[in-house]
Amino acid sequence: MYGLGIIKGLGITIKHFANTYVEDFKQGIKRYTAEDRFTARQGLEAQGLFTVQYPEEKIAVPERFRYIPFLVVNDDDHPDAPGQPWCTSCGICSKVCPPQCIWIVRSTDPETGRPKPEPQEFYIDIDICMNCGYCAEFCPFDAIKMDHDYEISSYDRTSAHIYDLQKLTKPLSYWRTIAPTRAEEERTAREAKEAAKAEKAKK
Amino acid sequence: MSNEAVSLHNPDYPVPEELRHNIAITTLDRIYNWSRARSVWPMLFGLACCAIEMIATAAARYDPARFGMEVMRPSPRQADLMIIAGTVTKKMVPQIVRLYNQMSEPRYVIAMGACASGGGPFKEGYSVVDGIDKFIPVDVYIPGCPPTPQALLQGFITLHEKIEGQSITTVPWYRKGEGEAIPVPVLGPDLIDPRQTALIRNVASQPPDTSDAAQEPATD
Repeated sequence: MYGLGIIKGLGITIKHFANTYVEDFKQGIKRYTAEDRFTARQGLEAQGLFTVQYPEEKIAVPERFRYIPFLVVNDDDHPDAPGQPWCTSCGICSKVCPPQCIWIVRSTDPETGRPKPEPQEFYIDIDICMNCGYCAEFCPFDAIKMDHDYEISSYDRTSAHIYDLQKLTKPLSYWRTIAPTRAEEERTAREAKEAAKAEKAKK
Repeated sequence: MSNEAVSLHNPDYPVPEELRHNIAITTLDRIYNWSRARSVWPMLFGLACCAIEMIATAAARYDPARFGMEVMRPSPRQADLMIIAGTVTKKMVPQIVRLYNQMSEPRYVIAMGACASGGGPFKEGYSVVDGIDKFIPVDVYIPGCPPTPQALLQGFITLHEKIEGQSITTVPWYRKGEGEAIPVPVLGPDLIDPRQTALIRNVASQPPDTSDAAQEPATD
């Protein structure tokens, strides 16, 4: 029979609509005064649909949410190299970037004149960036990640929308807070890789 | 919103303690801007994928009626705000500039998304304008591809802050004399004329000239 899917879909919509009121009667004033009222109304387990009261109440973005990329550096309390960027300026991100919005300058050692695996300049024009996440996908050092911060509107694009190294840099702990599952996955993958490398070196 | 309400009732003028509950003092600028910022009516038009996010923002879930912005006017005469939502093609620019000229002052422009702000992924495309600010003045830029509804709402709040910072004595629309209209750009001829397709094919099918005489100007 044709149209069964449409009826099912409309049923879900009606269920959400009815739940909005039914749950209100069930939970009463608690829904608006309890400690976890925002997550109760806007979280994944929420019943019914509510207007997001935006500046006061923000929908939590999913972990895989993508906005503007940022560069990962070591935390300030890292034992060996605090603030050390993970980026080696290999340039893979700028090569895969479909709209070509990344510009990297590799730094050179002032004594020997040889290239150092560190970016001297790193620019992303966020007026070109299409938030595809290819840079984060292809980076072999987990050094570039997609940020969750979307509140970045400004009055002037020439001064505010070309992100330089200082604006892009964020510590690893920030990445751990916005994407805990993925950060943990990447950490285990890195450790496994290093263990295999050490095993090989021993032989 | 609460801090804005405080700023509305908090002039730099001392009110005696016993009269605090009976008297509210504000400045003309504050009350003028407060009422203006809470009734910004956007114009009903969208250009590309960002328009879908704009529609999502206009719907009940994000509800711009909380900011007094739910009335999308289909006429530029009744609109205060132009949301450039999407890729601006060269063919569309004359119409946008004409609509902007038809809007009555005070008027504001939001460049929503990467394409409207700076061309986005189509920056070097033959048919795309890289940034609407080349033609009309833009007040707020919202990055993102596309900006989520919450990012657009944050852009609205940024615009409200800008409106509240303006002063009735300096705004251009109360000055004497007429403001100048922005010249409407004219779409020029295409880079490739379809009538010359046969000629172009003919040239392209020739083997490239690799003699030294042909190479020399290229190396200069």
